[in-house]
Amino acid sequence: MSSAATEPLRRNSVGWYLYGVAAAEDASTRVTSPLAAGTEEEVELVAEGPLVGVVSRVSLHEFDESVLPERLSDANWLEQKIRAHEQVLERVLEDASVVPCRFCTVYRSEAELRRFLSERRGALEAALDRVRGKVEVGVKAFIDRDRFAAGLAKENDDFRELTVHVSTAEGGRAYLERRRLEQLVASELEGFRGEAAGRIHARLLAAAEDGLALALQAPELSGREEEMIFNGAYLVTANRDAFEEALASLARDVGGDGVDLELTGPWPAYNFVPEELGAE
Amino acid sequence: MSSRELEGYLSGQPAQLADVLERVLDKGIVIAGDIQINLLDIELLTVKIRLLIASADKAREMGIDWWEGDAFLSSRNGRRELEERLRKLEEAAGLPTTSQEESDR
Repeated sequence: MSSAATEPLRRNSVGWYLYGVAAAEDASTRVTSPLAAGTEEEVELVAEGPLVGVVSRVSLHEFDESVLPERLSDANWLEQKIRAHEQVLERVLEDASVVPCRFCTVYRSEAELRRFLSERRGALEAALDRVRGKVEVGVKAFIDRDRFAAGLAKENDDFRELTVHVSTAEGGRAYLERRRLEQLVASELEGFRGEAAGRIHARLLAAAEDGLALALQAPELSGREEEMIFNGAYLVTANRDAFEEALASLARDVGGDGVDLELTGPWPAYNFVPEELGAE
Repeated sequence: MSSRELEGYLSGQPAQLADVLERVLDKGIVIAGDIQINLLDIELLTVKIRLLIASADKAREMGIDWWEGDAFLSSRNGRRELEERLRKLEEAAGLPTTSQEESDR
């Protein structure tokens, strides 16, 4: 896509794209077999001591620093590569615990990759221990304004009265009453958001090994028109029954206030590995 | 919407691109690989990609399907046009809603 003339030397050079690191005893060759068919990338396991790097050989013509910025601004390329990164790790996760690497971690040679795996063995094993037998799940909470308002009307006489007014008033008065109701709902919602988010996080944290709050997503990103009031990530045992039970019970409790919960995952434990490996 | 809805929460839907981005771009171990996007670039990239998704979804809601063709996002002109439309959408989103209310009356 980019002009070949700018990068003639590296055209055939191979880089090693590292998706993540797993324990050699967990990761089997099964990890790599079905992947080759499903994605463009052939996935290999590079074993170094007790660890394996989950890698693909990639063309440096595609991934080198000089061309990467241009690639990254190509939305199609980026989505395809990001999804591939995720799919490879999800596939590994079916059989083995994995420490996920950030997008586009590439080594120029197999020797450099192996050197990394052996030199940082201690930190990698510690990171792996933390996520062993566990997966990450995401829980998002959305508020349905109409159901929230209906809940208020049920509990609060003033709200009920105003709601009746709104439904019976006509013309300009109806408009004003509707505005007043909307403002009251908005001001109630103001306090409710934070309170509900705190309650949801505490309940889920109690059923998980660890958890944290992520940034809220705008409707354009979440794909739902309701407002997101909480976005959390949790580290849970690979058997998620207990967590899902807690989630279902929580969903029933907050449902009356117009809150819906959405579960995503299992994900590789992206949010529960160190951002950087400590120096050794 | 989902088989899990009866249990009170939604699950089992294909991963939203936004959720994948949130993790693959922002999280995961950062290794000093030989080649790596630096963190600042990742932040810029994340913002940019989120805007791209956001604008595409907003457009879909509005019934505009200009981004559907493969050629669009991959072509340079397409991207420029997309950025221009995105800018307009952002401006529109920044406006107070009074004009909407007036048209409601």
